[in-house]
Amino acid sequence: MKEIIQLLMAGAGSLGFAILYNIRGKKLWVIAIGGIAAWGVYLLTQQLTGNDYASSFTACVALTLYAEVMAIIFKTPVTVFLVSVAIPLIPGAPLYRAMNSLMHGNVEAFAREGTYAFLFAASMAAGITLTTLVFRTMRAKRYHRRHL
Amino acid sequence: MDRQEAEQYLYYAMNIGELLLENGAEVGRVEDTVRRICLAGGAERADVFSITSNMSASIYGKEFGSCTQTRRVLNTVNDFHKLEELNCLSRKICEEGMTFEEMDAEIEKIRKEPGYSFWWLVFDYALVSGSFCVFFGGNVRDMIVSALIGVLLKFLMTFMQKTAANHLFNALICSAVGGFLANLAVFASLADHADMISIGNIMLLIPGVAFTNSLRDMFSGDTITGLIRFMESILLAVIIALGFNIAGFYFR
Repeated sequence: MKEIIQLLMAGAGSLGFAILYNIRGKKLWVIAIGGIAAWGVYLLTQQLTGNDYASSFTACVALTLYAEVMAIIFKTPVTVFLVSVAIPLIPGAPLYRAMNSLMHGNVEAFAREGTYAFLFAASMAAGITLTTLVFRTMRAKRYHRRHL
Repeated sequence: MDRQEAEQYLYYAMNIGELLLENGAEVGRVEDTVRRICLAGGAERADVFSITSNMSASIYGKEFGSCTQTRRVLNTVNDFHKLEELNCLSRKICEEGMTFEEMDAEIEKIRKEPGYSFWWLVFDYALVSGSFCVFFGGNVRDMIVSALIGVLLKFLMTFMQKTAANHLFNALICSAVGGFLANLAVFASLADHADMISIGNIMLLIPGVAFTNSLRDMFSGDTITGLIRFMESILLAVIIALGFNIAGFYFR
C-alpha cells in the first residue's frame, strides 16, 4: 500500500514539474505515467539488487528509452520528456540533507549524504548518457547528427 | 550572399540560439542548432561555442569572408514549450529556408508566447509540494500544510522577482519563510512533521535537476558548462539549507 501511494505521488510530482516547465496537452499524461514507471523500475531493481546506485542507473536506462520513443512519437526534443520523467529520481532530498548536515556542523553526515547525492546523480547521468548514445548510434542512419 | 546579408543571417541564427539557451536547452544542442542553420544558409564553415551564459559563433564563406557574433545570456528558465517551437522553426529554416522578415516574425512570435497562467502555477506549486511531502513519508495533515505553504511561496516568489534581482537572495527569503511556516504549523499542532512538510517545498526550490544535468553535461563532453552548473547548484543548495534552518534554530 505504501509503495502504491509513493508511485502515485511520483507521477503527480512529474506532472507538477512538467506544468512548471510549460509542457502542454497529452504530453502531460505521458510524463505522469513515465514518472510512475520510472519510480516503479527503481523500486523493483532496488528489491532485486539492494543497491541504490545500480537501481538509479537501471531506472535511468529505462526512462531514457521511454523518453526517446515518446520523443519520436510526438516529434519533440527528447529533453522535454527526459527531464520531467526523471523528476522522482532526482536526488534533491539527499542534496538538501547534505547541506543541512553541513549547516549543523555534522561533517560525518555531510560526507555520507554528499557522497550519496553525488554518486546517485552520477549514476543517473551515466544511465541517461549511455542510453542516449546507444539509441542515437542505432538510429544513426536517420539522425545524421544530434538534432533537437 | 554578400557581407551584409551574412551578418544579418547570423544575427537571426544567434537570436534562435539565444532563445534556446534562455529556455533551458543543453549547450550541445544550442551549438548544433546554430551550426546547422548557418550551414543551411550558405556558410562553408560555422564554429559555434556556447556555455550557459555566453555564446559565440563565427561563419566563413568565400563571398562574404568571415563574420563573428557574441551573445551574453543572462537568465535561464525551463520552458520546454518554447523549446519545441524553436526546434520546429530551426528545422523549417534548414529544410526550406526563410526570408529575414519571416524569421524575425517567427522568432518574435515564439518569444512572446505565454506560459501557464498565474493561478495554474499556484495550483501547481501546491501539487508539487503536496505530492513530494507524501512521497517522502508525510501524512495527510502534513500534505495539506505543505501544499498551502507551496501556494504562499508562489506568491512570495512572484513578488520577490519583481523587486530584487538576485535569485540567490530570493531563494534565501523563500526558504526561510517556508521553514518558519512549517515549524509554526507543527508548533500550533496543525501538522506532525516539520521536516516532511519542508521537503515538499524544498523540492520546488532545490536545484536537483541542475545538479544531475551538470553531471550529464560533463559526461557528454561539455565540461566547462558542467562545472559552472555544478557550482551554481551547490551554492544554491547551501543557501536553501541555510534558509530552512534559520527557523529551525529559533524553534529549538
